[in-house]
Amino acid sequence: MPFYRCLIPKDSLSYEQREQIAVAFTDVHCGLSTAPRRFVQVVFFDTDGSGEVADSHGNGVMRYETPYFIAGGNRAGRSEETKRLILSGLIEKFSEIAGVPADMVSGRITEAPASWTMEAGRILPDPGSEADWLAEPAAA
Amino acid sequence: MAPRVLWQAPYIIPPMVTFELFVQEGCVPDESRTRIVEDIEAICAEVLGAESGPVSVSWTVVPKGFGFRGGEPSTTSLVRGRIPDGYGPDVRARFLRAIGESWCNLTGATQDELMVSARDWSWTG
Repeated sequence: MPFYRCLIPKDSLSYEQREQIAVAFTDVHCGLSTAPRRFVQVVFFDTDGSGEVADSHGNGVMRYETPYFIAGGNRAGRSEETKRLILSGLIEKFSEIAGVPADMVSGRITEAPASWTMEAGRILPDPGSEADWLAEPAAA
Repeated sequence: MAPRVLWQAPYIIPPMVTFELFVQEGCVPDESRTRIVEDIEAICAEVLGAESGPVSVSWTVVPKGFGFRGGEPSTTSLVRGRIPDGYGPDVRARFLRAIGESWCNLTGATQDELMVSARDWSWTG
């Protein structure tokens, strides 16, 4: 984690734009948190225009109203201000690189306890405790 | 005559387990999929118990050039599960590890190429 899904109109972004957005999201997330860069995962999905996407929260569907949408999943434990800055930073960078007005991009970041996720064979640490986690030997 | 009190049961989600599997194109052989699902079902029964309910698995393939990790092309798969509420941290950790070991055995991926999660059904985050 984090896991950012970018829902985009079909064929709206080139590979270079997707790559630039992925790098920018990594910069934004790691610049506002203590997460290592390798934690940041970004995927792009061409959408069918239905305005909804399967989600692992609530009733299993997340709805959105803009052509471009960022569905994020993060570890819980950060301040509201940090969460707000992360999302606004992602939207700003996405808009800039995609060349679309910011009001065509929206997003939502959901969270779950770090202990509910395993990465590299180990249960993830809470935000801010990454240094100890990284110092431990990785699972085989 | 005293008013009759009707007791209404709260809305309860029937126990079940769901998994969304996000895999990078070309990273999980098609012939492994059936066995992966079978293993997930077996692990749910063994670790969570039969009361965890039926298991539903969906696959999403991330096309080449659409998945990144740390800003670079990704080979990492994400296995996102939802399980009934009430399991403690030890059971959940055992569950995640079992899924991870099975996944790596069946796909040839390393643990570093896998993220596994299991959220409570009622969690709205």
